[in-house]
Amino acid sequence: MLKLNKYLIEFAINSILRDKTKNIFIFIVFSLLIFILSSVFLVTSSLQKELNLTADSLPDIIVQKMSAGRISAINTDIADEILQIKGVTNAIPRVWGYYYFENAGINFSVVGIDQFETQYKNSLKQITQQYDFSDLDDFMIVGKGVKKVLEQNYYKDYFNFIKPNGDFKKIKIKAVFNDNLTLESNDMVLVSKDTAYEIFGIDEDKATDIVVNVANPVEVKTIAYKIKMMFPDTRVITKEDLKISYTNIFNYKTGIFLSLFIVSLFTFFMIIYDKSSSLSSQAKREIGILKALGWKTDDILKEKFYESFLLSFISYIVGVGVSFIYVYILQAPLLRDVFMGYSVLKPPFELIFSCDIKTFALIFFLSVPIYIAATIFPSWRASIVDADEVIR
Amino acid sequence: MIKLNNIFKQYISNNEKIIALDHISFTIAKGDLVVLKGASGSGKSTVLSLIASLTKPTSGDIEVKNTKISKLSDNFASTFRQQNIGFIFQKYNLIPNISVKDNIILPLIPTNPDELFVNSRANSVMKLFNIEHKQNIIVRNLSGGEQQRVAIARSMINDPDIILADEPTANLDEALSLDFIKTLKELKDLGKTIVVATHDPLFFELDFVTKTINMKNGHIVE
Amino acid sequence: MFLNPQILSITILDIIFLIFGTVVFFLSLQIYFKWDFNSSSPLQYKLEKQSFLNAVIIKYIFYLKLPLFLFFIFTLDSLSDVITGAMCAAGVIDATSYGMPLFILKIANIYLFGFWLLIHHIDMRYPNLEFTKLKFGYFLVIFVLFVLEIYMELALFNSIDISKMVSCCGTLYSASATSAISSIFNIDSHIFVYIFYGSYFINLLFYKIKNAYGFTLGNIVFLIISIVSLIRFFSPYIYELPTHHCPFCILQGDYYYIGYILYITLFAGTFYGMVTLISKSLDKQNTNYFKISIIFSSLYVLIVTTYPIIYYIKNGVWLN
Repeated sequence: MLKLNKYLIEFAINSILRDKTKNIFIFIVFSLLIFILSSVFLVTSSLQKELNLTADSLPDIIVQKMSAGRISAINTDIADEILQIKGVTNAIPRVWGYYYFENAGINFSVVGIDQFETQYKNSLKQITQQYDFSDLDDFMIVGKGVKKVLEQNYYKDYFNFIKPNGDFKKIKIKAVFNDNLTLESNDMVLVSKDTAYEIFGIDEDKATDIVVNVANPVEVKTIAYKIKMMFPDTRVITKEDLKISYTNIFNYKTGIFLSLFIVSLFTFFMIIYDKSSSLSSQAKREIGILKALGWKTDDILKEKFYESFLLSFISYIVGVGVSFIYVYILQAPLLRDVFMGYSVLKPPFELIFSCDIKTFALIFFLSVPIYIAATIFPSWRASIVDADEVIR
Repeated sequence: MIKLNNIFKQYISNNEKIIALDHISFTIAKGDLVVLKGASGSGKSTVLSLIASLTKPTSGDIEVKNTKISKLSDNFASTFRQQNIGFIFQKYNLIPNISVKDNIILPLIPTNPDELFVNSRANSVMKLFNIEHKQNIIVRNLSGGEQQRVAIARSMINDPDIILADEPTANLDEALSLDFIKTLKELKDLGKTIVVATHDPLFFELDFVTKTINMKNGHIVE
Repeated sequence: MFLNPQILSITILDIIFLIFGTVVFFLSLQIYFKWDFNSSSPLQYKLEKQSFLNAVIIKYIFYLKLPLFLFFIFTLDSLSDVITGAMCAAGVIDATSYGMPLFILKIANIYLFGFWLLIHHIDMRYPNLEFTKLKFGYFLVIFVLFVLEIYMELALFNSIDISKMVSCCGTLYSASATSAISSIFNIDSHIFVYIFYGSYFINLLFYKIKNAYGFTLGNIVFLIISIVSLIRFFSPYIYELPTHHCPFCILQGDYYYIGYILYITLFAGTFYGMVTLISKSLDKQNTNYFKISIIFSSLYVLIVTTYPIIYYIKNGVWLN
């Protein structure tokens, strides 16, 4: 049936080797371009997945009190009033904030938790079930990144928080998170609500913000509007708003990168086309010889197809393969900073595996067939011209 | 066997019309060895190209083995060429970075042949021209004479009825040229029809040449 | 409307096709009127060389037309999001007077170009190029239809008014509509089912005895009855809704894009069926075409039959 012509393939391989310098150049440039493109897609898709995982666990609505354009502590009774709105399943005041650890130059996210309250997040619920908080007054649970930073600063199993009035508060480390949300829990420090009040100097009838969960996702917008009407000095943020703003930042950065990239890819192809559209006299001669030996135009095209397919496909595989190593094993140095922004202040985390077949298929179809067409076309043209002039 | 009828062939080069062949006709019978004699530009290489159906005439037609090859479309012409014609080029035009055997089997490749067939044909032809012992050597490492034998072997791999040689001795010294002429005689004895385009005087007084056709400026002269 | 990127790319491609097609048209004129294979004149040699290149261009126009058609459907479907009232391609097609005629013309052209490809394929098999003149003459005819198609397509895109409400397929494909389609809703659906399976079995018979005339005719009938029965009887089972008869909604993701598979098998089957007659009259009987046709047609019948059966097994009743 369709027996692969091994002699033809062998001839194609020899043909590639015959023009070593040109083909190695093409191989390197092509692989490099595919590598960059593929790495960008892997990193952004990994970060997006991370983001979506985080975003889904976010509360439906967050209510913050605004004062002179900045966030200030909100009254906890507001939560009770919000609970009266139809469709609201719960309204929970949160106590949390950023604690700046001067020695390491890093911010910790400090979250206050009360074991007997309804938790606004499933992961927090799991934690309350897993650990016993009754003695949490002087204990905290930290994320992996925090533990690392503390150890680097010689704090092994406790930490001294500096309260707003200058006094120290010593808190022992009870445990380390193994949450699967590395991005979020990495720099998190979980303490009791009372400790949080102390560390941040917030009054006990106030909270950092109020999170609201709504039974029917379709109603979130309406309820957010209602809350805003009830409490005009608040800022009401829905989950959708958050997702959109994060996605916009992502798309913006990806967009810039991609447009720069497409320009270089396009240039590459123009060079290829230019180099090959007027075949070297050597190449034309070879086609003429093959025709004189009895090769049909179809046979010559088939051979050229094997050549360009082998070259471009191997470049593609190498480019993609190296990008996987770069992104997941080397954790994409340089590139991830481009997309994560200033990551100096954020503790390190791992890129999670996220692979989308459609993207790789797209990269494949955008590169390999175009390259093959660009190289076959001049060969076709050379082959149908009268071959006799070539052999002189 | 080969019949040219009122062939007119014209090129357009640099906006100038160049007449390569000006209404020529002749016939070559089976088993003939014909020498096309003439200086470069006389049109003799064009005649070979036409017989091999590598190009089409501007007007007139060519019949080879009772087939009007000038009317064959590209695919049919190539198949006809592959089955019936063996070409020996002026500069051999071997592929330098592959072996002797790989060069010789080049005409067979497109037919996707099976290994046994390829090997048997290759071996018989290499034995015939005495290069079997060098079959795996890369061609660029061979001497001039050996390359010549590879070129001839390649032209014979399909066992064609017609051999066309275009200035085969132009780059050879006298000894190799005489060798080549000897091989031609052997091929003729095997029953091949041979057409040689050359201006090498060594070909002009050979006894086994059936006829010599003199060409000048696209015409046949006596 | 032209600034939509999909419409823009279709328009650009249309213009490219038009340019190439026109060039080939004029060259084909020359070939059709001046072709004389037995001549050895310069003109004839030039025509022979050109016919080869012409054929390559026509071949590639056709190969590109196929995916372009699928892309066209996809574009129509996505336009349904911006045109008020349209929930699928049916509404978009109904939005202008060009819609339905263009759609039918596009499908017809795919068949006609496919036939051209077959004639070309047969022509290339023989060194005498006996069918070259016929081939290009045929091209002259289908080119006119090709230009008509492009004109209508551009006119369609130009005349879509997104602010004008259109009917949804629910009203279009029902007994209450005023189009020709509505008449089929006045006939008992079972009649269509009988004709559908009947024509399939008749085709099987023709396949067994390898009668090209019967098979070709049978496939034309099969094509028409398949579309009608799909609308009238089978589509409600795909939608699991007795009032949903739209032939376009099955192309959407909600139904796992089964529409594409159904239409591809139907068109492939009937195309190869019709081609048997051309093959026989020009060349020789080619049993492969019979085989391919019956395989695709059977696939279509199989897929389209499983929906009612699965529905019955799940729910214990038939719809309507």
